[in-house]
Amino acid sequence: MSSSPAPLTCRLCGQEHQPIPLAPGERACCVRCDTVLASRPRLGPDAAAAFTVTGLILALPAMLLPFVTATKLGHDRTSLLFTSAAGFWDHGMRLLAIWVALCGGIVPLALLVTLAGLLLPGIFGWPPVKPRLLWPAAHALGHWAMPEVQVLAVLVALMKLGRLAHITIGPGFWCYGAMSFALLFAWRSFDLTTLAPAPPPDLVPAAPASLP
Amino acid sequence: MKRRLPRLRSQNLANASALAVAAAVMLVPANLLPVLTTHSAGQDRTDTIFSGTVQLWRSDLWLIAAIVFTASIIIPVLKLAGLGWLLFTARRRSLRHSRRLTQLYSALDFIGRWSMLDVFLVAFLSGLVRFGALSSVEPRMGIVAFATAVVLTVLATQAFDPRVLWREAPATAAPFDLPP
Repeated sequence: MSSSPAPLTCRLCGQEHQPIPLAPGERACCVRCDTVLASRPRLGPDAAAAFTVTGLILALPAMLLPFVTATKLGHDRTSLLFTSAAGFWDHGMRLLAIWVALCGGIVPLALLVTLAGLLLPGIFGWPPVKPRLLWPAAHALGHWAMPEVQVLAVLVALMKLGRLAHITIGPGFWCYGAMSFALLFAWRSFDLTTLAPAPPPDLVPAAPASLP
Repeated sequence: MKRRLPRLRSQNLANASALAVAAAVMLVPANLLPVLTTHSAGQDRTDTIFSGTVQLWRSDLWLIAAIVFTASIIIPVLKLAGLGWLLFTARRRSLRHSRRLTQLYSALDFIGRWSMLDVFLVAFLSGLVRFGALSSVEPRMGIVAFATAVVLTVLATQAFDPRVLWREAPATAAPFDLPP
């Protein structure tokens, strides 16, 4: 009986490929549609876990510490991460408030927790935690986690507010920005396209395609 | 060689089409209704997405205006046009340029989230700027329509199965033999 790993199917065109080893930094692309099927992180197999843990550590101060303080004629107002959602909530736009809280805060945190659940057991030798549930969950959460969009929105807002009030950026915003980058790098180091994390070299899947 | 062929789900195309049409409909009030009212120094100013961008431009914040214009106006329109093109071509019997269409789908999937910029922007401003009679920012119904349009376009992209673009294309011979 053959011990070959299961064929790898491109999620965009359905083409099947045979898994082969990849070197660090290499990507394997679909022979038919050129979609990246698998990649081996240049930073090593633990990079995704390191970025995930960093993101989780930063998430707490990002949610609790002041984001931005605006001062106008002696009046101060300090916002936190979820003050944005409160802006909609207090004006009766409650569904939109929930949506903003989800995309900007809760879903990114849930994605970090999901990535940790997928990556950390492998590193510490623990039994895997429901990977069949966590893989699709990570895929779904990845579509709706938008911390980088919120960071850009806050920067745009700060430029806009410059003429309306005196603005001081708080440590919560810096932690949130760093958390977004940590999530972004964790996501990029994490091989979701194969529906498996970057596996050991003898199991890394690759397409019979050019390796850029 | 045993292959799993992509299942062609016309229901998926119908769902994606319905969501894309709903998103296009929602973009009309999103661009016509005001999204924001600013009270400052006794003066009120109400802005739509476009007038807010123009205001940024006139304030010499050209880069910011360009970012907001791209994220809030160009990307939603481009995404809907691209999705419409994909849905149109997917319904045809013979498909050419499948590779380019798949790359278009990947690009649409990537850029869609950036349209949420304006929603986060209005949320942040309305949450922070609350100085009573001195100054305040209030969200208006246009932002609800805009957020709905953005969510519908993302859902339409997810409902579209790009494998239908390859239904007529023969599988490329991969240099391997799968075990029987």
